[in-house]
Amino acid sequence: MQVGYKLQDKFDFYIFIPVIILISIGLIAVYSATINHPTAQGNFEKQLFWSIFSLLAFVVVYYLPSQTMRISAWPVYGITIITLIAVLIIGKTVYGAKSWINFGPVGFQPAEFAKIGTILALAVWLGTKKHNINNVKDIGVALLLGIFPVMLILMEPDLGTSIVFVFFTLVIIYWSGISLFGLFVVLSPAIVVFSSIFGTISLILTLIGTIILLFLFKRDLFISATVFVLNVAAGFVFDYVFSILQPHQQKRIETFLDPASDPLGSGYNSLQAKVAIGSGGFWGKGFLEGNQTQLRFIPEQWTDFIYCVVGEEFGFLGSLFVILLFTILFLRMLHLAFQIRNQFRSLIIIGVLTLFFVHFAINIGMNVGIMPIIGLPLPFISYGGSSLTVNMILLGIVMNIYRNRKMHI
Amino acid sequence: MMDTGHGTDLRRKIIQFIIVAFIGLIVFQLFRMQVIEYEVYTERSRSNSIKAIKLNSPRGVFYDRNLKVLVSNQPTYTFQITPSDYSDSLNSILENVVGIDSGRIAEILYQKRMYSEFLPRSIKKDVSFESIAWYEEQSEFLPGVNYIVDMQRDYSFGIKGSHIFGYLKEINADQLKLMKDKYDMGDEIGFNGIEKAYEKYLRGEKGVNYFLVDSRRKTIGSYLNGSKNRRPVKGKDLVLSIDYFAQKSAEYLLQNHQGALVAIEPNTGEILALVSSPSYDLKDFASVTTHDLWKELSSDPRKPLFNRATMSVYPPGSTFKMITAIAALEEGIVNENWQVNCAGGYQYGDRFFGCTHQHGRTNLIEAIEKSCNTYFYQLILKVGLDKWNEYAKLFGFGSRTGLDTQEESSGLLPSRDYYNRVYGKNKWSNGLTLNLTIGQGELGTTPLQLAVYTAALANGGTLYQPHLVKGVLNSKNNSIEEFVFNSEKINISERTLDIIKKGMERVVSSPEGTASLIKLPDLTIAGKTGTSQNPFGKNHAVFVGYAPVDNPQIAIAVLVENIGYGSTFAAPIARDVIDAYINKIDISDQNEKEEIKITENN
Repeated sequence: MQVGYKLQDKFDFYIFIPVIILISIGLIAVYSATINHPTAQGNFEKQLFWSIFSLLAFVVVYYLPSQTMRISAWPVYGITIITLIAVLIIGKTVYGAKSWINFGPVGFQPAEFAKIGTILALAVWLGTKKHNINNVKDIGVALLLGIFPVMLILMEPDLGTSIVFVFFTLVIIYWSGISLFGLFVVLSPAIVVFSSIFGTISLILTLIGTIILLFLFKRDLFISATVFVLNVAAGFVFDYVFSILQPHQQKRIETFLDPASDPLGSGYNSLQAKVAIGSGGFWGKGFLEGNQTQLRFIPEQWTDFIYCVVGEEFGFLGSLFVILLFTILFLRMLHLAFQIRNQFRSLIIIGVLTLFFVHFAINIGMNVGIMPIIGLPLPFISYGGSSLTVNMILLGIVMNIYRNRKMHI
Repeated sequence: MMDTGHGTDLRRKIIQFIIVAFIGLIVFQLFRMQVIEYEVYTERSRSNSIKAIKLNSPRGVFYDRNLKVLVSNQPTYTFQITPSDYSDSLNSILENVVGIDSGRIAEILYQKRMYSEFLPRSIKKDVSFESIAWYEEQSEFLPGVNYIVDMQRDYSFGIKGSHIFGYLKEINADQLKLMKDKYDMGDEIGFNGIEKAYEKYLRGEKGVNYFLVDSRRKTIGSYLNGSKNRRPVKGKDLVLSIDYFAQKSAEYLLQNHQGALVAIEPNTGEILALVSSPSYDLKDFASVTTHDLWKELSSDPRKPLFNRATMSVYPPGSTFKMITAIAALEEGIVNENWQVNCAGGYQYGDRFFGCTHQHGRTNLIEAIEKSCNTYFYQLILKVGLDKWNEYAKLFGFGSRTGLDTQEESSGLLPSRDYYNRVYGKNKWSNGLTLNLTIGQGELGTTPLQLAVYTAALANGGTLYQPHLVKGVLNSKNNSIEEFVFNSEKINISERTLDIIKKGMERVVSSPEGTASLIKLPDLTIAGKTGTSQNPFGKNHAVFVGYAPVDNPQIAIAVLVENIGYGSTFAAPIARDVIDAYINKIDISDQNEKEEIKITENN
């Protein structure tokens, strides 16, 4: 047990084991979803390759010197921005979004890799002692660091990934100790945007609520007015964003708000996903026995709807098991973020946690019908090399922090 | 959030709460879907992935009494449209190619708008091979359009049978509601005639193939290796009582007339031939009926759709005289030797009732033979309306005969009550009965009733329920499982019938008989001519008869509208049909040959 204890001291199995199991479940599910599919032949083999590749990437990152993150944060962020701009110019359009850059046979999604750079940059900026999170200028820079890639990604356009960036940016700011008023300033535009989706009346009500809260905070008139103008502007910016979305993405948002409006269109996927999961029952239909999966009722099921395969073929038990693994992962990472007192490293962990959780919540939420259909993969399980590699690199960073945690307390 | 430090415990707890709460929500939703509402989703998943394709059963075939095919089935191509995948912009192209009226597709789709848009609608049956070839080339540009090979009635066996067989029509929404388990949208169902009356035998049982389908409803394999599939069961083949030769000849002989003919096997009630003319071509109904054809047929003043043989009510003329004679003999009012001196008519009250000739002294047999009105005027005055009505009723007049296809009228048999009702009590004169006795006046009979009556006279007094179908053919051993029909013995003495039959025999055999010109050298025929007056034009020619006299095999009633004497126009037709039946001759064939000979000689 001596050895085991020592190993756990350097390598967190509470994180690693759930992830390895999740990747294995992902491989099984991808196999099931693609084995009988005419156009997805070979996807299992590809995913197997990416699993091994990303595991290697994880190991490499795990063994990097502990200073690497801090040193590389800005260069990586710079490269991130460059590739995000590049993809808009030379990118390849897939499913209506210009999100891929190809190098010969290998392609990657800059937005995926941008997650690393952005989290590092935010953590570096807010984790530096000289920056005060309740200083308007410092918050503003932090927001800009997050918003800049979001804007670029929205232009691809990739709504799902943009949402992820917004969330982890906000949570990193939150974690770094922003005051209630600061949080309000940062959050209220997002709330205004969200309410504007539901129409003019809810937008106006939210704006009125904003005004009332501004009075309660009793800040000086100039700041209050500025915040309010920002809120109003956000409402209009959203209209612009909505208008630049692809028609299918606009439709998805509309369908989520009123699923009955389009039962055979975007609502179809959501419905078929629910049917697949619901019909799995308690025990599931068995591996390769799910007729919804095997009969390909859900398009591209190996990506965003992979959870249906689990739900249909492995039932409530299987679905719950996946949730359980994620829960362990999330709570463990939260625990680490709390334990590690080095602000920079703690912020990285909280950023990665947020990223995983938002992916998880939106993906599983849309699979079980409580979230709109926003194309986001389920971490470690959905098919996709870029996503898996980036997730494993992020996990490698977290483990690297764990390995070196005693140096930075 | 009073603590504004980095990663405080409160901030951790808030994040932890959000994570746990959201996961709780997901677990709850999973539990609801996979445990509580499991069955709902299972049902949906099943109907999602298994598609049942119904296989239509071939309809039963019609045979004649000698197992000659009368109506069969033939494969045909039918174009279908499935609205869920279809775009209206294709309407005009399709209409052009398959050859239907412009706007017809929109009309069909509108008519069927209440059905599921995933069900295909037939837009044109009997599509040409050219159209199919065109479709095969263009199918990728024609979403929602397909064709199926279907069965359609084949009437190419020489018998028209328009008013016997009946035709099929697409099942309507109301019928479909009642018989959901047996029919589907677009199915055809017997609309009239035998097709309707024997629908339950003819339709068979649909088969079904189950397929697994993907999300595009595209078939990707069979379900459980086809173990749940059911093969269609062919409808039962019917053996009709119709005789090919009699029917074919009768159709030929009546083709240029307006009228009807019914021939019955007198010992069973089996209808050997039934013709109503003018008729129509069932072939035109086999493919989807165009509106024009339907309109044309239903607005034709000659009413080709109307079944004159069973629905049309005519005064029977002198063919009805035997009723008065039977009543008189049976009631003992007169015997066969009772005589009347015919001076060409009879003065009753202030009205003179005429006769065709001056027949001089005439007894009952001679009165039938020569169709002497004077005799029957005087006889009815002795018999009276009530007795006459009673005996007419015994022979089935005034009520439906019980024809198996049920498409018939009951006719009109006047009685004392009837006259009291129409003219007021005692406000009518007995002179009315003088018209009735010679088959005129209010009396109305269908040709079918006349045939049943003649058959009863021929067979010694049994009234058989007339029918067009003998039974179902057992294809294994070619035996017929016969249906059971009613019969009723009329209480009339043999002696009376012998006298009547003697008279009817002499109508043909005696040189002075009204139908002596139809006498055949080797076949004895008995009968009675009639010439029925009507206010709409020339007299209707009527003839009833049976043959051979000693052992009747066929009883027949012929009525030709607005043409003249029964002896001249109806009797020869009856003779030819009798000849065709007894000697198994196709008169139409013979006549055509003769015509060819004549042209060759010329």
